[in-house]
This record gives sequence, C-alpha cells and structure tokens, in this order.
Amino acid sequence: MPFNAIPAKDFLNRESELRYLGGLPALKGNALGGDVFLEGARGIGKTELLAQLHRALFWEDKATPFYYSFKTANLKAAYFAKDYFTRFVRQYISSAKKDPSLANHAAEPLQRLMPVIASLGLHWLIDCIEDFQQHVNNNDGYWQMVSAISAPVVAAQKSGKPVLVMLDDFDAAAHLYETHHGDAHDLISLFGESMQSSLCPHIMTGAAGALGAIFTDHGLLGKTEPLPLGPLPQDLAAQLFRSHLANLNIACPAGVPLKSLAILRGNPLYIRNIAKAAWKMRKQELSEKDLIECYSFDVASGETAFYWSSLLSRCAGNAPRRKAMLKLLLHSVENGGIADGKRLAMISGLDEKETADMMEALKTAGFIDKQDAVLHDFIGCLYAQEIEDRELAEARSKIEARYLAAEETASFELVIPMASNAELVVAKAVEQIGINIQLDAEFLNYLQLALIEVCINAIEHSGSYEKKVYLKFITRPDKLEIIVENSGKPFSLETLKDVPVEEKLRLGLKRGWGFKLVYSIMDSVKVERVNDRTRVILTKNIINKEVLHEVGSIQRGIPA
Amino acid sequence: MKSDQFSVVSRLDGDAAIIYPKGYLNNLSGESLVIECGIYIGKGITKIVVNFGETSLINSIGISLLLQIIEDLRNIKGTICCTNMSKFLKDTFEMLGLMKHMSVFPTETEALKYLRSGKK
Repeated sequence: MPFNAIPAKDFLNRESELRYLGGLPALKGNALGGDVFLEGARGIGKTELLAQLHRALFWEDKATPFYYSFKTANLKAAYFAKDYFTRFVRQYISSAKKDPSLANHAAEPLQRLMPVIASLGLHWLIDCIEDFQQHVNNNDGYWQMVSAISAPVVAAQKSGKPVLVMLDDFDAAAHLYETHHGDAHDLISLFGESMQSSLCPHIMTGAAGALGAIFTDHGLLGKTEPLPLGPLPQDLAAQLFRSHLANLNIACPAGVPLKSLAILRGNPLYIRNIAKAAWKMRKQELSEKDLIECYSFDVASGETAFYWSSLLSRCAGNAPRRKAMLKLLLHSVENGGIADGKRLAMISGLDEKETADMMEALKTAGFIDKQDAVLHDFIGCLYAQEIEDRELAEARSKIEARYLAAEETASFELVIPMASNAELVVAKAVEQIGINIQLDAEFLNYLQLALIEVCINAIEHSGSYEKKVYLKFITRPDKLEIIVENSGKPFSLETLKDVPVEEKLRLGLKRGWGFKLVYSIMDSVKVERVNDRTRVILTKNIINKEVLHEVGSIQRGIPA
Repeated sequence: MKSDQFSVVSRLDGDAAIIYPKGYLNNLSGESLVIECGIYIGKGITKIVVNFGETSLINSIGISLLLQIIEDLRNIKGTICCTNMSKFLKDTFEMLGLMKHMSVFPTETEALKYLRSGKK
C-alpha cells in the first residue's frame, strides 16, 4: 500500500462517493463515465477517500489501483518521470502479487524486482522498464515523461484489466518544469492522452474550483466530472472524534456535548489533529474546556499549525515573502476578504505585481477561505508570534478566552421595518430572550424601553432609504449586548443635551428624552459609524436576577 | 409585556375626570390621551386622575405627551394625579424628573380623596 488508511469503521459518511469511484472503471469502460476531479477544502478527506478506495480495489480483482501524490513530488520533469514510473511499477506488481510491502520499498532498484515480475508473467512490464531506462540513458526528458505517464495505459491494455489512476493534489502538476521553474507551461497536458483511455479512469484531487485552471484543453475539461467533497455533519464529526479518542485511550463522557467541535466545521483532518493534541497533552478524560485547550494547542503549535505553516513556507519560498504573506492573510481574515491591489501592496510592503502574485499563490494553496475558522485562528497565532513577536502562550490563551466566552454565548438576530409599532416586535423579542435566560420580568421592562427608544430614534431620525433596522442580541451569563444598526444620517451622542423637565415645560420642548432613558437603563451605550450605517451598542451587565429591584442601581447611570 | 391595543376610556367622578389609558403609550395613543383630557379641560374640569393600571409599556413620546397634559393643567391651575403605577413606570418617571410635577397615589380612591380634601 502506498499509504496507511484509517480503519474503515472510522471512515464516515463517504459511502456513496466510495461506491461511485469504485465503479468508475466499469462506467468508463461502457462510456458512461469519464474522469473525476475530486475537489474540496484542505483536510476535508480527499486523500483519505483515495486511500480507502485504493485499499478496497487492492484486494478486489476488478481494477488495479495506482496512487500518486504531487504533494511531495519533485516537479522537475526528469525526476518526476522516474518517480512516477517507479511508483507505478511497484504498486502494479504489489497489487498483482497481493503483497502490500512491495509498494513501499522505494529505495530498492527496479532491476531487483525483475524476478518477481517474471514470476508473475508480466513480460510486457519488463519491456516497459527497459524502454524507460533507454530514454533515461538517452537523456530524453520528453520521452521519459511520456513513458511514465502512459505506463498505466500500457499496463491496462496489455493485461486487459483497467488501471484506476489516482492523482492527489493534481493542481501541482501545472508547475512541472524541464530545467528551471516556469520553463514549461504545459507539461500537464501530457496526461491528456492517458486520461482519454477507456481502460484508465483518472481521479484527481485539488482545491475547489481549480479544475478550470488546470486544463486549458476544453476537451479534457468536458470529460472530467467535478465531485465536490463536503464536510462531515456535526453528529458524525463528534462520532469520528470520539472514535479517535477511544483509539488513543482517552475517555470522553457521553454527557460532554463537544460543542466546540463546531469550530472545525466537520473537517476530518482537524478532528484527527485535535484528538492527537489531546493525546500529546496527556489528557485522560476530556471535558469541554479541555477540548478548547487542545484546540488552542493544535492551532498554535500542533499538527494543524505544522500543516498550514509548512504549506505557507512552500507557498512563500523564503522568509521575507512568508512575512509579507502572513500580513496579507491577517488582513484578509480581519476584513472578511481581500482589498484592492494598491492597499494590499501597502500591507505586504512589496510592489503591486509581486503582491498580486502572492495573493494568487495563497488562493491556489487554499489559504483564502472565509469559512475556515481554524485557519483564521492559525493565521492569528502565527502573526502574533512571527510579526508581533509575542509568546506562544499568550496567543493560545487569547484563543482559549475567546472560545470559552463564546461557549456560553447565544445570539439572536432580528430585522424590523421602519414602520409604525415595529419597535413592539423588538420589545416582544427581548421579552422572550429574557425569559430564555431567566431574567427578571421588571428588568425586562427597562430593556424593552431602552430598545424601543433606540429603534424610535432610528426610525424617526435616520432618513434611511432602506427603511430597516437590524438588531443583534448577544447573551452571556454576565452580560447582555444589543447591537442596533441602520443606514441613513449619522447620529452622535454628543449632540444630545440633557434638558431638565422644568426647562422643557418653560420652553415647550417636550421631546428628546429617549437617549436619557437609554443611558439610565444600560451600563454602556456606544455609537459608531460603520460605512453608511449607524451602530448603537448597548450593554447591560447582569449582576444577579434581582438587580433591577433596586431603583438606585438603575439611576446610577443617569448623566448629570 | 401585554400586547393589548391602546385604548382610552374615562369617567367623571364628581368634579374629577378619571382616565384609563390601556396598552402601549406611544405617540398615537399619547395623542388620544391628550385629546381625552382636553375634552374634560374644555368642559372646565381641573382635576384629572390618570389610572395607569392597564398601561403595559410606555415610550419617551408617550411621556412627552403626558408632559403636555401636565402643562395644560398647570395653565388652568389644575391638578393631575397618577395612580396604580407599576414600579417600572414610577422609576421611569423618576428618572426623567416628572414625579415632582404630579401627585402619585397607589389607588384611584386615595387620589379622589386627596382631590376632595386637598390632603394626602
């Protein structure tokens, strides 16, 4: 076997993909299927799916599996050709003899395998090896590549048995070169002929959406079916994690909800790495808090950190570029995307073209993923260490504090129209939220009043064309935070004046009390301008459930 | 919070008008309250009792309209009494400094007694 696959019982939720890919030789033989491009985020399990498929086919007799990883391949044509050809020959005879060990002795020259090949009656394979050696002796790089890449097709034709070719991280093949990086742009197209063979279905893996960039030949593109691989659902992610823990002799009581696993978004690589982090940290029984601790360890200095850090080094090539890339990545994480070229160049400290090239490399390598919170945490940690020169422990505790606080947080969002009595909907919502977190009914009346006032202010004074008010309620055990946002005219607390009631009566000014009430009720009131929106952030500390039975505690916040 | 629609009903008890605002006291309902009181003031009534027993929620616009009633009564040397106020309502009026411009009683009966005798 070219690699270790996890036990089949721990390989969850991929049965249909496995069945489909296993049936690919028959489908392609009957012109009902072509080649498959397996795409998905890093760590989602593409390689593991190939490993499982390889293992299944190895012991069956329907097709010969051949797996090749471009992840660690030397992309110089001559080296690549030799490596590809040698690995194919080893895996082929390993499969024919049903002896997994034959595939693993990479250092053993092919000549030594001749007796085994002869004993299997694979004389055509001996011819293949001799032909390949002839191209090597002639120093003919092109024919070495052609011979290597077409070896599976030759084997399938000679034996009459299909060869299923699995090319992992195939997008890297776009960087194959002859003598210097970038001197040959289309060596990848040499795979085209092999891919067209009805006896050789190819399964390639790569980043989502990379297929179009790999093939410039539309004929190949059309015959290749993209197969996206999604994350594990939450229940199966927990099941897989528990299974890894059990294999590592770490207990995890059934009552532990493993809520923090949601950060990993069903990524099997991350799930495995956290389990291994727990083992490295010598955990014997895992609690929810331990899980966050293991996560911070993994993302700051564990296998996940090593995985992404190695990838970043490979992508950067040298230390100054790595630093520049790290700055760009943090900017991308903090701003939820990528800014324009000039701004990015200012961030990286390099010129626009080099910055654009780096961004492209980062995108191709899968670093720009808005959904991947683990990657974002890794970037934050690495930035703190390599750019801000902070201690690892500090970066870790920052992550832990954030997730421990978030663990007890619930949030609700609401959008109301700027219409008559819409603020009552908000009042009703805050009432129910308060009931959910067991707040005192009278306390809720004050919160309702404060919110009603902020909403009325937005409805009456913003002049918004959008005519909507956006609210977000974030509840924590010790605090309730309410964010009210609307487009329209800016609003500033500084413009508010506290006019005593006597003065109001004298001047006939009866309005202008809304924010006085809000100030009196809430512990903190902040007003921000975010693009064209006004954002009011209200915070109320929940000291205990009876806090609002004391009038004094309400009144202490009234501005003088 | 009760989600009752706002309504105002009233009755005359001797020389005092008793007003019952019900539901959410905002701009629209506050206007109704001002109109209702205005009708009595127009008829020469100078003593008004507002029973807040059925007022579920109030906003600053509703409060400002209550200030209008206080002002109207002040102009005719009248008296406003508020009764059956929840702690929330009392605290809110207190926050805004309104309490010193009105007489507050736990019940309607106590307010009427005060209006008749002039003593608390």
